[in-house]
Amino acid sequence: MPTNVIMPQMGESVAEGTVVKWLKKVGDQVERDEPLLEISTDKVDAEIPSPAAGVLAKILVKENETVAVNTVVAVLDGEGEAAEAPAVPLASEKPSAAPISEAKPAPPPIAAGPTSAPAPPAAHPGGKVRSSPLVRRIAAEHRVDLTRVPGTGLGGRVSKKDILAYIASQSAAAVPAAPIRTPGAAPSPMPAAPAPPRAGIPAASTGSTAPVVFTEPTLVVPMTPMRKQIAEHMIASRRTSAHVSTVFEVEMTRVVVLRARHAEEFERRNGIKLTYTPFLVRATVEAIKEFPILNSSVEGSNIVYRRDINIGVAVALETGLIVPVIKHADEKNFLGVARAVQELAERARTKRLSVDDVQGGTFTITNPGVFGSLFGMPIINQPQVAILGVGAIEKRAVVRDDAIAIRSMVYLALSFDHRIIDGAVADQFMARVKHRLEHWDEAVL
Amino acid sequence: MLYYLKLTRESEYRIERVLYRQGKIVGGVYVGRGQEAIGVGSAIQLAEGDVALPSHRDFSSFVIRGVPLGQIFANWMGRGTGPTRGRENTLHIGNLKLGLIPIVSPLGDTLPVACGVALTFQQRRRKNVAVVHFGEGTTSRGDVHEAMNLAAVMKLAVVFICNNNAYAYSTPTERQYTVRDLSVRGPAYGMPGVTIDGNNVLAVYGAVQKAIALGRAGGGPSFIECKTFRMTGHSAHDAAEYVPKELLEQEARKDPILRLEKVMLERQLLTREGLVEMERRIHKEIDEAVAYADAQPLPEGATAVKGVYCGPDCWWKS
Amino acid sequence: MPTRTYLEAIRQGIWEEMERDPSVFLLGEDIGAYGGAFKVTEGMLEKFGEDRVIDTPISESAIVGAAVGAALMGMRPVVEMQFMDFIACGFDQIVNMAAKIHYRWGPAVPLVIRGPSGAGVHGGPYHSQSNEMWFVHTPGLKVVAPSTAYDAKGLIKASIRDDNPVIFYEHKFLYRRIKDEVPDDDYVVPLGKAAVRREGSDIAVITYGAMVWTALDAAKELEKEGIALEVVDLRTLVPYDEDAVLRSVRKCNKVILLHEDTRTGGMAGELAALIAERAFDDLDGPIVRVTAPDTPVPFSPPLEEYFLPNARKVVEAARQLAAY
Repeated sequence: MPTNVIMPQMGESVAEGTVVKWLKKVGDQVERDEPLLEISTDKVDAEIPSPAAGVLAKILVKENETVAVNTVVAVLDGEGEAAEAPAVPLASEKPSAAPISEAKPAPPPIAAGPTSAPAPPAAHPGGKVRSSPLVRRIAAEHRVDLTRVPGTGLGGRVSKKDILAYIASQSAAAVPAAPIRTPGAAPSPMPAAPAPPRAGIPAASTGSTAPVVFTEPTLVVPMTPMRKQIAEHMIASRRTSAHVSTVFEVEMTRVVVLRARHAEEFERRNGIKLTYTPFLVRATVEAIKEFPILNSSVEGSNIVYRRDINIGVAVALETGLIVPVIKHADEKNFLGVARAVQELAERARTKRLSVDDVQGGTFTITNPGVFGSLFGMPIINQPQVAILGVGAIEKRAVVRDDAIAIRSMVYLALSFDHRIIDGAVADQFMARVKHRLEHWDEAVL
Repeated sequence: MLYYLKLTRESEYRIERVLYRQGKIVGGVYVGRGQEAIGVGSAIQLAEGDVALPSHRDFSSFVIRGVPLGQIFANWMGRGTGPTRGRENTLHIGNLKLGLIPIVSPLGDTLPVACGVALTFQQRRRKNVAVVHFGEGTTSRGDVHEAMNLAAVMKLAVVFICNNNAYAYSTPTERQYTVRDLSVRGPAYGMPGVTIDGNNVLAVYGAVQKAIALGRAGGGPSFIECKTFRMTGHSAHDAAEYVPKELLEQEARKDPILRLEKVMLERQLLTREGLVEMERRIHKEIDEAVAYADAQPLPEGATAVKGVYCGPDCWWKS
Repeated sequence: MPTRTYLEAIRQGIWEEMERDPSVFLLGEDIGAYGGAFKVTEGMLEKFGEDRVIDTPISESAIVGAAVGAALMGMRPVVEMQFMDFIACGFDQIVNMAAKIHYRWGPAVPLVIRGPSGAGVHGGPYHSQSNEMWFVHTPGLKVVAPSTAYDAKGLIKASIRDDNPVIFYEHKFLYRRIKDEVPDDDYVVPLGKAAVRREGSDIAVITYGAMVWTALDAAKELEKEGIALEVVDLRTLVPYDEDAVLRSVRKCNKVILLHEDTRTGGMAGELAALIAERAFDDLDGPIVRVTAPDTPVPFSPPLEEYFLPNARKVVEAARQLAAY
């Protein structure tokens, strides 16, 4: 019996959805709940699991086509239920015969949606949304339009639970998180492994890996919501800060040797991999302590120094870039930093980052070097005032004591906001980072 | 004693009728004009370790116990370097080293405090006394009775000195109590009570001497009623029109300073020249004290919130 | 470690301070031979003698005033109010003498006024009051209200050692009803620090005194419904631990302010203003107060029961707030 696959309603105010990608071809065998296609809506991008087992008989809506909610997008042949398949269930539940229109806002499988039942409409008529100071603050920090957030509080109020769930679902679709004017960081991840860029780390944002097939002179591809946001943020950051970059060449021999010597023992003892990231974070933290203006923000005509040193470390996911934050990085020792990096990266990859994980950063480290770039000039992650780009660590011929030597070198590029940081300060900061790395003396084990 | 009487009279004149009218002193101004003998006759006998709890009518007690005259004026003028650093005015001046505990405006509150002071003398087996001053109006307050009772029950060395100056603000004694002499209250609580001429400094001296001796000997408290007259308003802003003029004139004739001067001149303990010289000295001393006080800075506004609590970094010690 | 009742802990604390510092002494009505109306000072007259355990006439004002005088002379008096309801008789000496001396002319006034307060024992209007706010509102005083036996000992010791006038509110309902492991050694609990009695994440309940136990009972009940209460015990009302209050509010984003004292002018109002001023953006719901109504404490049991906050009332308030 054929089963219809329909465009689900992802949120009660959503009226349509776009098919982004078919994960199965016509003729493929599909298991029940197996991911069948990817869609994108105003609220969220989601993977849609198959409502039944069977063979994908017909694809009725092509990729990049937008259709109204409940439109049949494909048909499956085989055992299955009647045509009235409801909106996408969560993994565990069977599709029931319940009519489509009663479907509750089904949470996307990759996110934790609003789990508690009832009814109150997420649409806030008249644009007036009941919430609370806390909710409004969180919404402002994440640039969330509250009218789009379903409220389950009293009288349809958007509660803390609701906004956090909404944001988690957004970030699971990998909106580059972080406060107010969100990341302008160059879309590059930190190396999870040593120097040679790891093959297979997917390139950054959604859409850039989509195959471009020309049937006409131009191909118009509308931006996904996440791409739109990134675009906006990049421009906004450039508009806000007086971007200047300074590049330092740092000899990493000592660190490389140390890492090579202790990596195995470190992993054995602590259960986590020893990467270059903790070295970079520790050196950065030390330099920030000496030059706290690198850890500040500009508000109007005030420089707002931040006491807490929360280092954001850019991580690439298949779906995009995200910058989890190591909170109080200055209060952690080497192992503490390494652990934090590992845990955050893990959570990022399994889409379990919480709101707190991506908020509150005061300085960002990114790694254009992972794809081989010598150095990049990253865009500052607002509202911070500096960002450190780490190039590829490579062996190069350098001059030492008037002789040519082969050393492991890296270019570190600091983009900083010249509104409040002058070149001299930035360079002194970088000199400190360089010195720490070149004269590394903190025990790793 | 004459020196102190005259110094007090002249200082308070300066305060009430000069500095206040020049705007150098603001707020309430209370002086003990005409009642100077009470403070002088008692304070002059105090020994080291004794504690005085004078009232606002006992300027001389502060001078006699050792508060520099300039500091007293500085307090009146609300200066930041005065004894209360501008927090208090008038004679609310305290100094534990000199054995001085000031009143609070709810008069009568110091009587129980005097009991507490005397209690520590008892606990420490010292022969010191606490001498507390209060007016006849104050005796209507409960604290006075509780304190007198407590002092008698515990046999504390407290000398209760009542300055009966006939008026409590505008309230004459007839409206304050019904007995003729307040000293009957002494025996009512189990302690000796006497009524004396408060304008006779020698009488004051004698009565207080006896009471102090009793206290030091472990005989407990005494009550001394000093009858006098308030020769000016309750405060500087009070014209005291409720006091009949004839009464004022009559009482003026009993002025304690004039009486002592007369006695001393008669007994040739003092010459006219000596008197003039004394007055000259007093004027000079007061001039210097006022000049000193006037030169002191006013306190900084922000210090208002300091020193509320006593702790290891006590603001008062700075 | 020995287990002691709240009352025994207070007795031990006072006893230890009397032994440790000869300038500590006691004044009060019936505290000597009789050992105090609640027997807090039992045995002390025999041990420390008449000079240091003084039975006074019924003169709260004179007693407090005398304590002030003694404190000025370098002693550390501890005054017992037979019931804190009677502290009003000594009010003037407390707020005009004791509270203001240090500010006005510098010396320390290290005295403690302690006594049983609170309702729940059919005491009627004059043996049940919670009048702490009279003194919370008076600058220069410190106000303390322990809720556990451990704290009662540590706080009475700290209060006696404090160089300021401290008003120490013992809750009579807790005297014999609660016990704790109370170490025999010389420990103090610092003034001005709250304690989190129970960690939670949904609603912070800020409270003190006997109501701490009420809040904990409510928390157990609410746990079954999936509402996690955090219970913060202020322990000191002046100076109170602002950081602890704000921390819990920022963590839970919803708050209930609970006290046995009557509503208007109660501590909850002060805390609500603090929270609204400093944690407005952390609030996910209105600030809720659970307090007694604005009446004197009635005697007859059904009236007193209606009057007092209890676990059921806290549970109801929490349910409503959780659903907001």
